Amino acid sequence: MDQFELAVPTSLTEAIDFLPAKWDDDGGREAMPLAGGQDLVTVLKEGIHAPDRLVHLKGIADFGGMKAGPAGGLIVGSMSKVAAVAKDQRIRSKWRALAEAAQSVASPQIRNQATLGGNLCQRPRCWYFRTSDAPCLKKGGYECFAYGGKNKYNAIFGGGPSYIVHPSDIAPALQMLGAEVKTQSGVGSRVIPMQDLYTLPADSDVTRETVLGPDELIESVELPALPSGLRTTYMKARERGSFDFALSAVALGVRLDGDKIAECRIVLGGVAPTPWRASAAEELAVGMKNEPEAWASIAKRALEGAEPLSENAYKVPLTEGLIEKAFRRLSMEDV
Amino acid sequence: MSRLLQDGGPPGPAPDGKEWKKTSKDVNGHPEEHWILVDVDDGGPSWPARDQMKVLNRDIQRIDGADKVTGAAVYSHDVRLEGMLYGAVLPSSIPQGTYTLDLDAARAIDGVEVAQDIAGGEVRYLGQAIAAVAGITPDHARDGLAALGVELEPGEWALTKEQALAEGAPSIGRRGNRREGRARGDIDSAQSAIEGSAAVVEAEYKLPVQHHVCLETHGVVVDYKGGGEATVYASTQGTFSVSGDAAEILGLKEPDVTALVEHMGGGFGSKFGLDIPGDIACQLSKETGRPVHLLLDRKGEFSMVGNRSAGWQRVKAGCDASGKLLGMQAEIETYGGLGRGSNPGLPYIYDVEAYSRVQASVMMNTDSSRAMRAPGHPQASFAMESVVDELAYEVGVDPLEVRKLNLSDPVYHRQLDRVAAEIGWSLHENKTMPGSGDGWTATGIGFAVATWGGGGRPVCQVEVKISSDGSLAVEVGTQDLGTGVRTYVAAIVAEEFGLSVSDVTPRIGSTRYGAANASGGSVTTACLAPSVKSAAWAARRAFLAKIGAARGVDPGQLSCSGGGVVDHSDEAGGLSWSEACALLPAEGLSERGKWDHKLAGNGVHGAQAAKVEVDLKTGAVQVLEMVAVQDCGLPLNHLALRSQLNGGMIQSLGYALLEERVLDPELGLNLNANMEDYKIPGSMEIPLMKAIVDEDDTRQETIGMAEAAVIPGAAAIANAVFNACGARVRELPLTPDRVLAAMGRI
Repeated sequence: MDQFELAVPTSLTEAIDFLPAKWDDDGGREAMPLAGGQDLVTVLKEGIHAPDRLVHLKGIADFGGMKAGPAGGLIVGSMSKVAAVAKDQRIRSKWRALAEAAQSVASPQIRNQATLGGNLCQRPRCWYFRTSDAPCLKKGGYECFAYGGKNKYNAIFGGGPSYIVHPSDIAPALQMLGAEVKTQSGVGSRVIPMQDLYTLPADSDVTRETVLGPDELIESVELPALPSGLRTTYMKARERGSFDFALSAVALGVRLDGDKIAECRIVLGGVAPTPWRASAAEELAVGMKNEPEAWASIAKRALEGAEPLSENAYKVPLTEGLIEKAFRRLSMEDV
Repeated sequence: MSRLLQDGGPPGPAPDGKEWKKTSKDVNGHPEEHWILVDVDDGGPSWPARDQMKVLNRDIQRIDGADKVTGAAVYSHDVRLEGMLYGAVLPSSIPQGTYTLDLDAARAIDGVEVAQDIAGGEVRYLGQAIAAVAGITPDHARDGLAALGVELEPGEWALTKEQALAEGAPSIGRRGNRREGRARGDIDSAQSAIEGSAAVVEAEYKLPVQHHVCLETHGVVVDYKGGGEATVYASTQGTFSVSGDAAEILGLKEPDVTALVEHMGGGFGSKFGLDIPGDIACQLSKETGRPVHLLLDRKGEFSMVGNRSAGWQRVKAGCDASGKLLGMQAEIETYGGLGRGSNPGLPYIYDVEAYSRVQASVMMNTDSSRAMRAPGHPQASFAMESVVDELAYEVGVDPLEVRKLNLSDPVYHRQLDRVAAEIGWSLHENKTMPGSGDGWTATGIGFAVATWGGGGRPVCQVEVKISSDGSLAVEVGTQDLGTGVRTYVAAIVAEEFGLSVSDVTPRIGSTRYGAANASGGSVTTACLAPSVKSAAWAARRAFLAKIGAARGVDPGQLSCSGGGVVDHSDEAGGLSWSEACALLPAEGLSERGKWDHKLAGNGVHGAQAAKVEVDLKTGAVQVLEMVAVQDCGLPLNHLALRSQLNGGMIQSLGYALLEERVLDPELGLNLNANMEDYKIPGSMEIPLMKAIVDEDDTRQETIGMAEAAVIPGAAAIANAVFNACGARVRELPLTPDRVLAAMGRI
């Protein structure tokens, strides 16, 4: 890790002033925001970024709290710890998929240190990105080595020219819940719906995963009140239960009308460079009887169009299975 | 105490450690018979009967446990010395080729004290140490490495078997990249036996590279400041394996280099000798005349200090309708990087009437494999136990019964029956064909067995010292790998003297004490415990002789018991421990013991069962329960034994479900040289574990068993997955992709 200057601002405006207004030429970051450090420090240690300055956000007041939002919603400060999101009673009762997603993040130690905003802005886990020995596309290099290489953990949707998957557990849950992020930057504040926060590699600068500018910080996440009767859950498949990123994940919301599905929301994680909305499956679901046969056909529809690489075809049946399990959980448990 | 023989029997029950012996004595010219008390082990040390033991053969808390969990225990990694430099090593990021570097650029950094080229410009394997620097802080050392400006020129490399055997492959071994081992058995009889079989299985079994993942990485702290002496704080499995090489590099004589191993954080077979980081640390220390701390970082640890070799095994085997194995043909390949890898061969443990096998190793540009807890055995076990299992289901016979049918040693029958009973096999539904679950999950049970030697030899020199102030110490240079050696060294002495473990001070982990074996092959218990016992026995007898002389009593009338000395010649007689020690001469006493073959044995078995739940939708395997039954001769410390069994089960669970080195053979990269991507089990993976010491093994001999514990688990888990749902996974680890593929879902 190279030496850097540590700025400790006490206000959001001050923090933004410490950050660059424009991306520098080589795609690197001359100054970067530091929240819980659980991702950033590992990136620095591997030498993937070598910023001159880190801007520590922990001294900024009212950045980590939660408060009631308009019309029954909840505003969650982006410096809230992942562990706090996981155990907050309001979130557990009204936005359960978010609590479950937060609870599935990493290990207890990391959840106690990691922040909500940091989780949304973490860099990819692809092992080619994470080793400084591979000059991959994501690091400004010339090739996505995962495409023809060891791609067991990579994308089956939305890939090209990079085939990373977005590592956040929380992002798919937030998108399914219809959440928005409120940001601040040198040019002011804006509200970005979760489905617009992330970009596919083909759609913009391949070295970035979000639409955020270099001096743009997520101030808070706004959870809307959910339609009455919509029940939600988050399920995650991983190799190691103790702590691991998702092989694939599903954030599911279902509202029933009698024994029929009246509303269905499916956002997948671990399968694409962004959280991946399964719109066709959502449409298919509406009007179907809520039973295992229907779940299986909804799951099949959700994975239609998947384009597995050489080593990740298993993600198709695995994700289908996960969707079925999520429907079953919502049907069996008082969720 | 001598009593007149009156009624033909001894005068009463004998005290602990004593027995009545008839003797003839001349009284007034007439022989008269008397009963006298003598020590049970008058003829030499022997282990007391198990039910007589007061300290051993029980659960003994490890005496350094509190130090370890509170951080008070000082490992080599924790040693900090005045003027000490921090060393760092640069591993090669190419598997083969040449490089150039600029040592002066590193040396020019203020705070970087030394920089050395380690590999002389040539790289032979991925992760090889090519340069090293030492600086006044770890950051200075890392800056020094970065400043070297290493330019790598890759040559042709081989990281897979295909690359190693391809036309134009680099020459890795001196005698070619494929080295044939000796063929065994008779192919004609094996073939005809297979042809006459009721069922035949032909399959390939693949094993990944498994890392040792020592929590304390490899390395040393060298305390050398010029002059004629040095001390090496070494993380090693062999206290006495370090000084010679260190002395040679430092230009000293071996006796002038002391090796210290107060605590060490795991070795599993990978930590013998000064080793690569120790060698480099000594060179850096020699050049600077300053102490050097050099323990590898995790990337170095995953790159240059060995692993459990990968392997491939093709087996064709047949059995009769009862499941009796008739014939087996096996081809075995081991992939040990620059080394040979290991596999003890097939058939493994089970009796097969007619067999043949050929074995070869294929060399590649990775670090040499090393011994890892039962080298080669889990690999052979996975293939053999899978084949036995596959054949059992082919002929529709209970796989537990098929195992017993093909194991002649009755110990295995006893142990298999025990693990089966503990895991609930008799109530399990699908015994002769796999289950199918409820559409969501399925539960299955699998079995496997183990074998190991664990015998000893005369090498340990143990000294027991008693001081007139009452202190009792035992000294031997041996190392405690975390197995509980320090505890049983004290406990054996405590047992001998009728004291508590806390009354004894064990001093280990130094070349200044008596010689000891390096801990490989599970030999330490059988080498060390008998020598400790002998020293304690000799010290007790010498002690009682002194006390007897001081009190004018025949020492045969004295015994150490209940925390003091009992005088059997005097009804009211007895001394507390401190009263007795006060009778010793000012210099106290000291006795050494020799290894005694009667106190040690050799040869253990072992059986394990696993119960798993397979998620039929996602292919995820959760191990619900594991049971291990293990013989070990005389159990010294049941708690430590169960810890070894638990550790063995956990390590084999990792091998079964998670662990695998991943290389990119095209780019020549190690992709998971870190503890995030190389996955070892965490708390959520740990099943209900039952670790059972097989107390039907009545041998009064100490035997090592730690390696046996890691052999059967992976095969038992794989067999349980098949039993659950019919998915036969023939390649470890059993990750969801492989399980889904075996289910036919991909």
